[in-house]
Amino acid sequence: MRVEKRGSGRPLVYLHPAGGVRWTAVLERLARTRTLHVPTFPGFDGTETEEKVTSRQGLAQRVGDYIEKNIGTACDVMGCSFGGAVALWLALERPRLVDHLVLECPGGLQTIDPALRKNPHAFYKALFAHPEKIAYEKKPEDIEARNRAMLAHYGAEDGMDSKLPQSLDRIRAITLVLHGTEDRIIQAETMRLLKSRLPRAFLVYVWDAAHSIEVDQPERMSAVVESFLERSEAFVVPYA
Amino acid sequence: MKFCFFHLMPFTGVKEVTPEWPTPNRMFDPSRAHELYRDYVDTMVYAERCGFDWVGCNEHHFSPYGLMANCNLIGGALAYPTKKIRIAMMGNLVPLNNPVRVAEEYAMLDCMSGGRLVAGLMRGIPHEYIAYNIPPDASWSRQREAIALILKAWTEPEPFGWEGEHFQFRQVSIWPRPLQKPHPPLVISASSLESARFAGEMRATMGMVLISDLALAKECIQVYRDAARAAGWEPTPDHILIGMHTVIAETDDEAKDALREARKYFDRVLMGGMRTAGRLVLQKTRYYQDEANRGRMQNRLAKREAATLEEQIAGGMVLCGSPESVVQQIRRIHSELGNGIFNFTMKVGDLPDAVVRRGMELFRDRVAPHVRHL
Repeated sequence: MRVEKRGSGRPLVYLHPAGGVRWTAVLERLARTRTLHVPTFPGFDGTETEEKVTSRQGLAQRVGDYIEKNIGTACDVMGCSFGGAVALWLALERPRLVDHLVLECPGGLQTIDPALRKNPHAFYKALFAHPEKIAYEKKPEDIEARNRAMLAHYGAEDGMDSKLPQSLDRIRAITLVLHGTEDRIIQAETMRLLKSRLPRAFLVYVWDAAHSIEVDQPERMSAVVESFLERSEAFVVPYA
Repeated sequence: MKFCFFHLMPFTGVKEVTPEWPTPNRMFDPSRAHELYRDYVDTMVYAERCGFDWVGCNEHHFSPYGLMANCNLIGGALAYPTKKIRIAMMGNLVPLNNPVRVAEEYAMLDCMSGGRLVAGLMRGIPHEYIAYNIPPDASWSRQREAIALILKAWTEPEPFGWEGEHFQFRQVSIWPRPLQKPHPPLVISASSLESARFAGEMRATMGMVLISDLALAKECIQVYRDAARAAGWEPTPDHILIGMHTVIAETDDEAKDALREARKYFDRVLMGGMRTAGRLVLQKTRYYQDEANRGRMQNRLAKREAATLEEQIAGGMVLCGSPESVVQQIRRIHSELGNGIFNFTMKVGDLPDAVVRRGMELFRDRVAPHVRHL
């Protein structure tokens, strides 16, 4: 599994969405104070699949093996959408490896509206409230198509991971859940479910952001995530 | 047809006329205010016995124009002496206030009144922004964000945080939540095309005041309807509220004389400083977003001010006359605009409270029976 590392400081593992790895302004900012470990899930972004890894649960084991071997201690984990489901599985099955957990509109807990999936234009609008803010380079079409195909490979084509919701209350990691107020891919009800089931979770809505919060509101998202990672529960307390 | 008895709670008895804003509060007499608050609340409670469906009030600052810096206090005073009438806060000036506080106070009023709150979420008139030191340029973005946050606070069963452009909260979980589900009905001011569009998008009742002619009002209503359809819903007549000064007396002449006299105080004293501040804000900010909107609003106000009382009655800008005349005026406006709610401001300027009360009774006995079915 390919892993890119940037920055220096306390380790933070970032698990990418179905679009593959994109170095957004949020990741660049986090890399100023942390060592970011950004794996590319096998099969994404032109990499090869691995025969035995065919589910988001399996990807979590693969990431867990990486953390044990290369970081060697509990670390902060942040997962976006598809990567959010992987992060949930990691926190469930390898809890001692996860310190703070950040879930950016995580997948796996609901089916995605089929009409939305079939309509690329509508899906794009659901992804970005502010597409003009996209700062990363567009990937070649064959890579994007292959990334989309990986959803089926990992049993995630409809978004749902049926075993995941029933296990949520076993997660012990302190968790920050982020949801864009304009997100039409992941419903607010799903975020409420997550908030109610995770014993130590904080839910924050990011105003004027769709599914890609990192693109739509990078400053706001960075501020919340940094505060949460630095101050844990105390991030709710305002400070000058 | 539904009717709202709306009260601005003006401070009366000011002798000095000044174009200053804020109006110097050396002119304020607290003991007079003590009497006025009591009389005004009594009159508002009396509206229920006069057959009004809603009783309303709103927020203003720093002038004798209105004595409600926080109209929710008056809402609280109305909750228990009344039983059925809806309590319409029209409303809190959302961009100026803490949205979580607005959500909390409205939820309190809804619970206290047994689910009778109508929740007005207003952007305010320009000079109020000076009072609370909020940039008028940001009024629209603050309004949009604050309303989204208020709706979230009312409907979210789990504690949540909010990271916005204007508002940041890390933990929100209001107690109480509103009694009405999913939340109290909304009223949003829609006296301009841009605000009418916004009210439609927000699934709110549109509130129109300061009508200068019915053609322009129709245009706003059409924009509202189009925006509502685009948002996936269809407004009914009950979603269109038309507000205006209303004086009902035994005869047309009596009503006109009373309104003319009361308007002198309204125009010279109550509006004096507000015009000054309003002009300043409109000249130096983007409160109306663009020149076209600014021009439309200024033309509308100028047209209202230039019109004689007879022209205002004929143009649907005010309701004034005998009960029989007011019935005709209501029928005409309703047939033109298709509204399901009239908002009567019956305490105009320093119109004596006895005249206001007599007008309320004439409404109950000789107006409402003829227009209730509309």
